Amino acid sequence: MLLLSCMKLLAQHGTITGKITDASGSALPGVSVVIKSTTIGTVTDSDGVFTISASPDNVLVFSFIGFKGQEIMVGQQSTINVILNEDVQNLSEVVVIGYAEVKRGDVTGAISSVKGDDLKRTNVTTLEQALQGRVPGMVVQQISGQPGGGVSVQIRGITSLTGGSPLYVIDGVRVVVTGTTDGGMNPLAGINATEIESIDVLKDASATAIYGNQATNGVIIITTKRGKQQAPTVSYQGYTGFQQLAQRLPVMNLREHADFLNARAADPTWNFDARPEFQNPQYLGNGTDWQGALFRTSRVSEHSISLAGGDDKTRYYLSGTYYQNDGIAFGSRLDRTSVRLNLDNQTTKWLKIGTSIQFVNVDDKVSATSSNLISKALSMTPDIAVQNSDGSWGGAHNDNAWIPKTENPFALAKINKDLTNRKQVLSNAFFEVNILKGLVLKNVIGGNFSVENRERFNPSYVMGNLIKGLSDATADYRDVSHSEMSTTLTYNHSFANKYKLTAMGAHEWQLDRSRSISAYRKDFPTNTVQTVGGGDPSTATNDGSKAHRSVESYFGRLDFGYNDRYQFTGNARYDGDSRYAVQNRWILSYSGVLAWKLNNEAFFSSLKNINELKLRVSSGLTNRAGGRDFAYASTLNTVSTGLGGGGVAMVNTDIGNPGLKWEQTHYNNIGLDGAFLDSRISFSVDFYQRKTNQLAMQISLPLYSGTTTQSWPPGPMNAPWVNIGAMDNKGYDFRISSDNVRGKAFTWRTDLNVSHNKNKIVRLNAEGASISNTYNRTVAGRSIGEFYGYVSEGVFATPTDFLGDADKGIEPHARPVRNGDPIPVGPAYGSIWYGDRKFKDLNGDKIIDERDQKFLGSPIPKIQLGLNNTFTYKNFDLNIFFTATIGNKVYNATRQIHEDPQGNSAYFKNLSNYAKLALVDPNGSASDINNVYVTNPNTKITGLRNDQTNGNQRVNSQYVEDASFVKCKNISLGYNIPGSLTQKMHLKTLKVYASATNVFRITHYSGMDPEIGSWDPTNAGIDNGYYPQPRIITFGLNLSF
Amino acid sequence: MKTKSKIIYLALAISGFLTSCSNSFLDRPALSSVTSDNFYKTAEDLKKATAALYSGNIWGAWTSDCYLPIGEVLSGNMVLGYNPGAVELNTFSMTGYNSNLVTEWRSMYNLIAHANTTIHAIEERAPNSIPKEYINATLAEAKFMRAYAYFTLTRLWGDVPIIEDNRDLFDHPLVYKNNTSDVYKFVANDLTFARKNLPITGGTWEKGRVTTWSAQGLLSKVYLTWAGLNQSGNRDQALLDSAKLYAGNVCESDLLLLDDYADVFKYQNSDNEESLFALQWPTNGGGWYGGNMLQLYSNALIINGGGGFFGIEVTYDMYLQYADNDLRRKATFMYKDEEYPELNTNLGGLKFTGSSGLKKHIIGNEKDLGLPKMTNTSSPEHTILLRLADIYLIYAEAVLGNNGTTTDGKALAYFNKIRSRAGLNPVSSIDDDALLKERRIELAAEGEYWFDLVRLSYYNPSKALALLEGYDKSRNKIDIDAAGVVTPGSSYGVITAPTINSFKLPIPSSEVTANPHLGTDEPAVPYSF
Repeated sequence: MLLLSCMKLLAQHGTITGKITDASGSALPGVSVVIKSTTIGTVTDSDGVFTISASPDNVLVFSFIGFKGQEIMVGQQSTINVILNEDVQNLSEVVVIGYAEVKRGDVTGAISSVKGDDLKRTNVTTLEQALQGRVPGMVVQQISGQPGGGVSVQIRGITSLTGGSPLYVIDGVRVVVTGTTDGGMNPLAGINATEIESIDVLKDASATAIYGNQATNGVIIITTKRGKQQAPTVSYQGYTGFQQLAQRLPVMNLREHADFLNARAADPTWNFDARPEFQNPQYLGNGTDWQGALFRTSRVSEHSISLAGGDDKTRYYLSGTYYQNDGIAFGSRLDRTSVRLNLDNQTTKWLKIGTSIQFVNVDDKVSATSSNLISKALSMTPDIAVQNSDGSWGGAHNDNAWIPKTENPFALAKINKDLTNRKQVLSNAFFEVNILKGLVLKNVIGGNFSVENRERFNPSYVMGNLIKGLSDATADYRDVSHSEMSTTLTYNHSFANKYKLTAMGAHEWQLDRSRSISAYRKDFPTNTVQTVGGGDPSTATNDGSKAHRSVESYFGRLDFGYNDRYQFTGNARYDGDSRYAVQNRWILSYSGVLAWKLNNEAFFSSLKNINELKLRVSSGLTNRAGGRDFAYASTLNTVSTGLGGGGVAMVNTDIGNPGLKWEQTHYNNIGLDGAFLDSRISFSVDFYQRKTNQLAMQISLPLYSGTTTQSWPPGPMNAPWVNIGAMDNKGYDFRISSDNVRGKAFTWRTDLNVSHNKNKIVRLNAEGASISNTYNRTVAGRSIGEFYGYVSEGVFATPTDFLGDADKGIEPHARPVRNGDPIPVGPAYGSIWYGDRKFKDLNGDKIIDERDQKFLGSPIPKIQLGLNNTFTYKNFDLNIFFTATIGNKVYNATRQIHEDPQGNSAYFKNLSNYAKLALVDPNGSASDINNVYVTNPNTKITGLRNDQTNGNQRVNSQYVEDASFVKCKNISLGYNIPGSLTQKMHLKTLKVYASATNVFRITHYSGMDPEIGSWDPTNAGIDNGYYPQPRIITFGLNLSF
Repeated sequence: MKTKSKIIYLALAISGFLTSCSNSFLDRPALSSVTSDNFYKTAEDLKKATAALYSGNIWGAWTSDCYLPIGEVLSGNMVLGYNPGAVELNTFSMTGYNSNLVTEWRSMYNLIAHANTTIHAIEERAPNSIPKEYINATLAEAKFMRAYAYFTLTRLWGDVPIIEDNRDLFDHPLVYKNNTSDVYKFVANDLTFARKNLPITGGTWEKGRVTTWSAQGLLSKVYLTWAGLNQSGNRDQALLDSAKLYAGNVCESDLLLLDDYADVFKYQNSDNEESLFALQWPTNGGGWYGGNMLQLYSNALIINGGGGFFGIEVTYDMYLQYADNDLRRKATFMYKDEEYPELNTNLGGLKFTGSSGLKKHIIGNEKDLGLPKMTNTSSPEHTILLRLADIYLIYAEAVLGNNGTTTDGKALAYFNKIRSRAGLNPVSSIDDDALLKERRIELAAEGEYWFDLVRLSYYNPSKALALLEGYDKSRNKIDIDAAGVVTPGSSYGVITAPTINSFKLPIPSSEVTANPHLGTDEPAVPYSF
């Protein structure tokens, strides 16, 4: 060895120069040129030219990210020009694993990556939407389709009863997802897809444990674009298009509405509410189409300009983006402007510094209708005009007490003001010091800061018989800051040509602060003065709050590789969180993983077609800080009292639990990555099991606890946070990518991902305990939040239903009980009669009571799929992307309301098929069981009866619908203008494209959109008039020069 | 190289600085609310803690959905239309979904949870620097509230779970029902503590807080009711004697009836001598379910531009109870064309235009009372839930006991005080019917009659049932024509005939779903004291 080195030194040195280009002949700056087995090297300049001193027996190694490396023996050459080919397989990509980066081939954890270019194809407002269907094991569900609306993201199922989103890390700094304002605003709405270089999704404990606290639900690492060593390049990316509602609900028009109400008023048990204006339905028109009035086709556009470049010392990326989305709800609008600057500087040989700064300004106009748009539209009946001929607003005009005096949502959208402005800064700065060879100290300080101002004004108005006498205004101010600093010391060492060691030790702190104030006044002298100070000072109220939380952590990682065959990674992290009482404050997370690169084994060398085969086995424990701040203590609020002539009292609002502990998740994962046939086919498959103990939850105890998780009605204390049980998640996720055709002119690539997760509650706080919401129930042994209720068996339609048939051995159908006895049969108030719903007697005790309820299905999909096909033909490219879920159910509460004959809002068309009663003998008694029957006995819709004794609208199977779907999420077609043309235009590249999002769907679901997200997994999958995702069609242009 | 070292030292120093003070870095106490850690330190703190039990969100929904619907509508004194829950109560068609019953159940258990939390916080956190006597007095206030809630619960539902420390539910949420007799024992224990530790009044003890007379008065009602439990025909004499003892103590205290019946319920006379326990509503408002909502029961009073809409009306059966010259009637119900000049003063006084409406609890609007912030959901009335006249009648009933009739001097004296204030002639003997009728009239619109019927149903169910069904079992309203002639009016639908089971109300269905131990045929268990 020593001898060999000596010989090399003796060899004659010469100066070698050359130019490195890509396949198209463009110069490649920044390519590393190293003499093999030494540390001597250089990089190419901005023209792709290098100069190096080497001897003839040296081998030069050329390498550049995204390109296949090459090795060339110097020999007698003095000029070596090299063409590097792009590396079609992504194995040499860099993957961000948390406080470090590794090559894709060396990844040991379960990590999925998405490239920024893939994200851009779908027209999305937020990041999470862009990720939908792209990452195996990740379920992205829209909570609201409004611009910038909330999205729920789950990675490999739910591990907490309170939901909880993954941890987002942007350029090394956590982004606080603090929930939403009531407009459904998404805190990540400020990030532009065009600025993203890559997204890495960390899934198993071996990958996430390094983030310790907060990482149990997975980590989404977003890396933004940075400058490269290249001449300044200006790029423009823009699109504009329109969006519209993809689906309408089938509401009765005015004639049908009138027919129905006439029939109802004429019914003998109803016998009131005849409406003279509906006497002759045949002369009525269609009436007001409220869905048509509230939804519109609106514009969406984005323009982004960036400047990127750099030399061997400094690299920069500067970009500005403007995004505008006029939601499909009348009166809503989202505007976003952002500026980003990413800088890197090699200050000295041993010091590197850099920064990322993004300023975002978001203006969000929330229309009064946008939060409950569908239910607002359905609350209006077709006989109400949007606007009357005299210019006044339409409104309910029937003064009868049972007709709700609903607000005209179109008018509210016009006259109410609700504007939110948010200014946000995301920034970080780092320096990296090479202390010794292989020993690097890195310090990153960063944070994100946002200031939010919301102004609301609700004027006084008259809408039909609804009069709002007093105007009111609210102003809210909120600022939120998150700051953190990490100090890492990393040691890298390779020895004996076989062993590779990386060790890291680190310290980190995080501090979150927030404060808010709000002010309110009523009674403004005119509706033109809308600022809160303009109202009556004697009505003024205000509120304010402040919060803080801190986390401190020590952590480390050890990577050890042997012969590029075996690799071990171990992580440990010790977190302290201010949220917990002192005795429960600190906790240890850890994980270990072993990876075996089978393809590098000797016995595999004969199999030339296998490019990669890697087996990964990992195990670990992560911890999540469930609960709220100060959950260990009871809290009290100030209230007024009339005692002692008036003063204040202190009322308990929260009941403390000093014993609250961390949620602990044990994680096991086994995965296999492979690539074969010249990497034309690659795949990755993972099987995992996660068991979470000490689930923390604000437990919804029965009413007798005097506590609640609901905000209404007031009176109870807020439910305590308690560690109540354990939950299991098991599943797999699978991805396969295939270059089906790799032709010169034509290529076709398919990416498919499939994932399955099975959630099971192992244990709750007591035998038989449950977490119950109106529609959902969570119990041990089943998955979280399944629907629970009665089974509908149609309606009481024949005498046999009531009397049974002794001859045939048919028992009367079971009925609900009162005071232990079945409720009597008859048309009178307080009885059960024809047309009432039959509930199934599940326990066979011949009565219907609480024990006749069962689980009616789960809102969680069994299988989720994403399928992407990319075709290129010469300069054209076509991308078609499908997503699908299988096996999820939705409780269609909207249908339940609008198919109820007793309702007084809009009616769905199929309500005209209500159970219609007739008499056998028209002159006989209408209260004789044997003289009455239902003419449409198979109907599922209850009859016309002004009585709720039977509880026809209790939660039942009639409204649980299969919400499996296949959605064509996106089709985009692009054309790259040929180089011969672009050169004449002095452009580097020019591309035009058209794209359609939410193109079509295939589903049995009868509502607007089967894809329904929720923040709360115990109360999910309920369609309460959910704002659907719009169909968007855009035309775009990308160019650079 | 020098710069390099500096940077390295700087990085390590920043990192190390925090490590050295990490304990304080992680100490982040609440910034926006008072927590149990820094409260209950002074006598003033304890006072503020128990003050919260007298009003606010704990009681708001109850004034709106329970007090009159259960006490008066269910019992047949009044009817309330256009309110599905109240119509169900009126027609006996209610089930475990009935919203009024759910609210009553929830409200009483909310009161228990707040009382329990306050009791444990005081017991565990109040320092010795606060006089023991004071600590015990505030504990007694909370126990009085808890007793009131359990007494109400067990009279409505019979066997109910006793929760003494809500923190026990964290790990054991599915409790069993406890035997009715144990609930009575629990209530009596709490009230005995309250009786011993509450002051008489005066000193630093604010007007409006409960006193030992409040506790003894409620205790007498508890013993009187308990005396009939599981009995047939007769009541338990020992318990009747206890009722007589404590009612007698209150009767013989310095407290006196006001001279004018109507004055008892006037806002200006809040916390008068006759009032033993009253909710302490503030004067500065309260939203839906956050304030005293009783004025919503009048559609005749106009408050700050808004009105009430629960037009509650008298039943014909109740109408028949009043003698023509009974002064209490006009203070309880408004009849057609009657005038109340002290109400709606800004509109020239109130003239009632419907057939019948509620007067008691209708105390006036913002101008009548000079309280500009008041709304129709924030009546400042200090709603009386226990008063001296009630105790007088309890005394008489305890003396009457199993005798059927009595001429006991003291009993007659207290009974006649009530009659003479009402403008009625004194009587020389009292029997069961006369006593019950007097209670029904004296305490009408005070949510009491249902509980009187329940007490009777314990030992004489057939009589209780007959009274519940009323004069023609139809629960009609009254009609008054232009000449002032009163006839039975319409009723809200068909009345399902009540049975003896009607005196035990269905436990809310959501509760039975959440905890199957509460099911109808699930047995109750003894409470371990």
